[in-house]
Amino acid sequence: MSSSYDIYFRRNTWVYSLDPRVKLAIVFVLIVLTFLWPRVPVALAVSLVALALLLVAQAPRVRIFRFLRGIIPLLALVLGLTTLFAGGAGPAWVAWGPVRITPLGFQQGALLASRLLALGLTFFFWLSTTDQGEMVRGFGSLGLPYDWGLTVALALRYLPILAGLFEQVREAQEARGLDLALRGFFARLQAYRPILIAVVIGALRHGERLGWALEARALGGEGVRRTTYRPLTFHRGDYLVFAILLIILAGAILLRLL
Amino acid sequence: MPPAVQVRDLYYAYPAPLPAAAPTEVLDNVSLDIEAGEFVALLGRVGAGKSTLCLALNGLAPHATGGIFRGQVFVGGLDTRKHPVAQIAQVTGLVFQDPETQLTQMRVEDEIAFGPENLGLPRQEIVERVNWALHAVGLDDYRDRNPSRLSGGEKQRVAIAATLAMRPQVLVLDEPTANLDPGGKAAVFSVLLRLARQRSIAILLATQDVERVQRYAQRALVLHDRRIVLDGSPEEVFAHERELKAWGIGLPQMTELSHELSERLGKPFRFSRLSGAVRGVRRALVEGDVLVQPNAVAETLRGVETLHATSLRTGSVDTPQVMIEQLGFTYPDGTAALRGVDLSIQAGELVVLAGPNGSGKTTLAKHLNGLLKPSVGRVLVAGQDTAALRVPQLARSVGYLFQNPDHQIFAPTVREEIAFGLHLQGLPPDEVAERVDSAMAAHDLATCADLPPATLSLGQRRQVTLAAVLAARPKILVLDEPTGGLDWRSRYELMARVAAFSQEGGTVVMITHDVRLIAEHAGRVIVMHTGRVLFDGTPAALFGQRKVLTEARLTVPPVVRLAQRLAPFGVPSSIRTVAELADVL
Repeated sequence: MSSSYDIYFRRNTWVYSLDPRVKLAIVFVLIVLTFLWPRVPVALAVSLVALALLLVAQAPRVRIFRFLRGIIPLLALVLGLTTLFAGGAGPAWVAWGPVRITPLGFQQGALLASRLLALGLTFFFWLSTTDQGEMVRGFGSLGLPYDWGLTVALALRYLPILAGLFEQVREAQEARGLDLALRGFFARLQAYRPILIAVVIGALRHGERLGWALEARALGGEGVRRTTYRPLTFHRGDYLVFAILLIILAGAILLRLL
Repeated sequence: MPPAVQVRDLYYAYPAPLPAAAPTEVLDNVSLDIEAGEFVALLGRVGAGKSTLCLALNGLAPHATGGIFRGQVFVGGLDTRKHPVAQIAQVTGLVFQDPETQLTQMRVEDEIAFGPENLGLPRQEIVERVNWALHAVGLDDYRDRNPSRLSGGEKQRVAIAATLAMRPQVLVLDEPTANLDPGGKAAVFSVLLRLARQRSIAILLATQDVERVQRYAQRALVLHDRRIVLDGSPEEVFAHERELKAWGIGLPQMTELSHELSERLGKPFRFSRLSGAVRGVRRALVEGDVLVQPNAVAETLRGVETLHATSLRTGSVDTPQVMIEQLGFTYPDGTAALRGVDLSIQAGELVVLAGPNGSGKTTLAKHLNGLLKPSVGRVLVAGQDTAALRVPQLARSVGYLFQNPDHQIFAPTVREEIAFGLHLQGLPPDEVAERVDSAMAAHDLATCADLPPATLSLGQRRQVTLAAVLAARPKILVLDEPTGGLDWRSRYELMARVAAFSQEGGTVVMITHDVRLIAEHAGRVIVMHTGRVLFDGTPAALFGQRKVLTEARLTVPPVVRLAQRLAPFGVPSSIRTVAELADVL
C-alpha cells in the first residue's frame, strides 16, 4: 500500500486551490518570519500559523498527527543535545565534565527546536497541499528549468514508493526469520544488510525503468519547446492572499528594522 | 503504404555483465512486418527476448541499453538507429509491465498530457488529445483522479492512454496484464482490440496469456532461442502443440482438448474456441462417435476425492492448523480491510484465496505469519495465538512466498540465498549444507548454485525464493500470486514443487487470480470480497455459482464451461481439467 506514504492528499478547499506560486510565497514569508527574530515565541507562532493553515485546508488530521508524532523525538533530541553541549558564557546550572548546562545553552536549544518545528510544519503544509504537477509549473514560472522542477517532483513522488519498497522488503526478510529486534547498534546494522541490498537493487532497477518510460514519452526531444496543458492563472483569491502576504512581509521587515 | 513496423535481420546482444564475460545474445536473425491495424501477440518463455524486441521497436534498444545491434528496425518509416528515442516516441508508444515505473504524475489528465507537452503541441491540441485518449480507453470520468490510487487494470489503461495521446502508429506492450485480476485483464485486452480495429493502430503485445491471445489477437509470433520460430494466426500457431510444449509455451485449453481428443479417439477434432468445441463434441455425441463413459467419470472423481481425503487424514482433523475467529483488520489510514472472517484450515489442505484486487486476500495472508496482527478477533497458527508471537518466531512454522521475488533476493549466490533462512534458525553448518544441496536438486537449481540470483530469469528467481522458503521446512506455506508473469513451463515446474509439498502433508494457502490454477490444484477455494468471505467450498462448487463468480470478477476455465454446456449428455459439471474431460469422453 504505497499510497499511504503519500504526503499530498487532494481536498477541495480554497487553500488547496490557491495558485502554487501563492503557496510558495506563503512558505517564503513564514520562513522569513521565523528567522527575522531569534526568539522562541516567534517560531512557535509561525508553527501555529502553519498548523492553522493545515487545519483550514482540511488536510487529513491523521496525517498531521502522524507528522507531529514523527518530528517530536527529533525536536527533543535537538533540544537535549544543544542544552547539554552548546555551553555558552554565563553561570552554569550544572557543570560536569564537558557538559555545561547554561541558561543560554538551553535557550539556544529551544530556539533551534522551535525553528525546526516551524520549518517542518511549513514545508509539510506546502507538500501536503500542492500537487506535484502544480509544483513543477510553479517552479517553471519562477524561471527554473523544467527538468529541475520535474526532478524534484519525481523525487517527491517516488520517495513514498521507495518507502513502500523498503517496507515490503523488510516484511519479506522478516518472514524468512530475520530478527530486527536485536540489541546493539552493530548487530542491528548487520541485520538490516539484506534489506538494504534488496532495496538498493530494487531502486536501481526502478530508476532505470523510469528513465526509459520518460524517454518513451518523448521527454527531452531536441529543439522542442515544451508546452503546458494546464497553465497557471492567478484568480481573485490568489491576488488577495498575495497582497496580504506582501503587507505582512513589509510590516514585519519594517518592525524589525525600527 | 509501407508496413507500420519492419524488422530486418535483427541481431541484438546485451553488453556483458562482467568485463570478462561474453555479451548476452538475445535476438538473432529476426525479421518481421506488422501492418497498420494488426493486433499481434508475441509469445515465448520468460527470458526469450520478448522485452528486448519491444525495446527495439522504439529505439530504447540500443540507444538506452547499449550492446551490439545489427540489422534494421523501421517504425513508421523511421530507422530507429538514426533517430533519438524522443522522436521515435511519436511513432511507437511503449507500455511496460509495472505501472509504477511509467506513471509519473499525480492526476490522470496530467499523466496523459505529459507526452504531448513534451512534443511542444499547442494547448488546444493537447486538450483534444487528452479527451480523445481518455475516451479511447474508457476512462472519461477519471481525469482528475490520482493514478497511484487506481486499480492495476485502470493504471495500465492510463498508461495506454498516455502513449495514445502521442498519436502513435504502433503500440508496443510488454506483459501489461501480468499482474492484473481477470477483470483488469479483460478490460485491457478489449481496449487494445478496439484500438486496432477502429484506429488502425498496429499492436504488438508480449504476453503469456494464451487464452486471450486465442480470443483477441489476429496473429501470433513465437520467439524461441533468439529467433521467431512461428508466425501465423493463433489457430495456425497453436496447431504446433508438440513444438510449443517443448519450447515451454502453453496452449489454450480448447486447442489442447482438440489435440487430446483427436489423439485418443483417432478422429480429427478441429476447434479452438468454446463455441466450436461445444458444436464439435455435441455432434460427435449425437452421431455416436463418442460416448460419455460414466465409469471413467466416477473413477476420475473418486480419484480426486480420495486424494483430498488422504491429505485430510495426514493431519489431525480435530485440531486445525489455522484457526481464524471473527478476524477484523483496519489499516492505520482507516481502511477496513477485513471484517468478521471465520475460517479453519486443516493440516494438508491446499486452499486458494481468490477475489478481486483489494478484496483483502493479501491482508488475510499476512495474518498467517504475523506480519499483521488482528484489530479484532484472533488468529491461531499451529495452536498458537499470533498476537503473542513475533514474525521471526512464526517464520519457523509458516513459510511465506512474496509476489515479487526481488523483495527477498539479496545474496551474492543462489547457495547463500537458500542458506540464509537456515542460518537464521541456528542450524548446524553441515545440516545447512545438506538441506541447501537437496533444495537445489529438487528445484533444479544445481547448475546455477554459484550465480547471483538477481541475474536469473523470473521463473528461476521464483524457484530460488521457493527453495529458500521450503528448505526451512515450514508446516504451512503461504504463496502470494506465485505464477504471475510466468510462462507455462516455469509455472508447471513451480506448481509441481508446491504440489509435492502439499502431498507430503504440508498446508498450502495460495493467493491467485488464475482460474486454471484453481481448477487444477485447489482442494478448496475461499473467495474474498470487500474484506469478507464470499464463498468457501470446492472449485467445482464455485464454478457452478454464477452470482459469486460475477461478484468476485472471476471467470470459469473454458474446459469447465464446456463440461457445463455438455451436461445434458451426461458429462458431469464437476470436471476441472482437460485430462478429466478427455477421460470422460
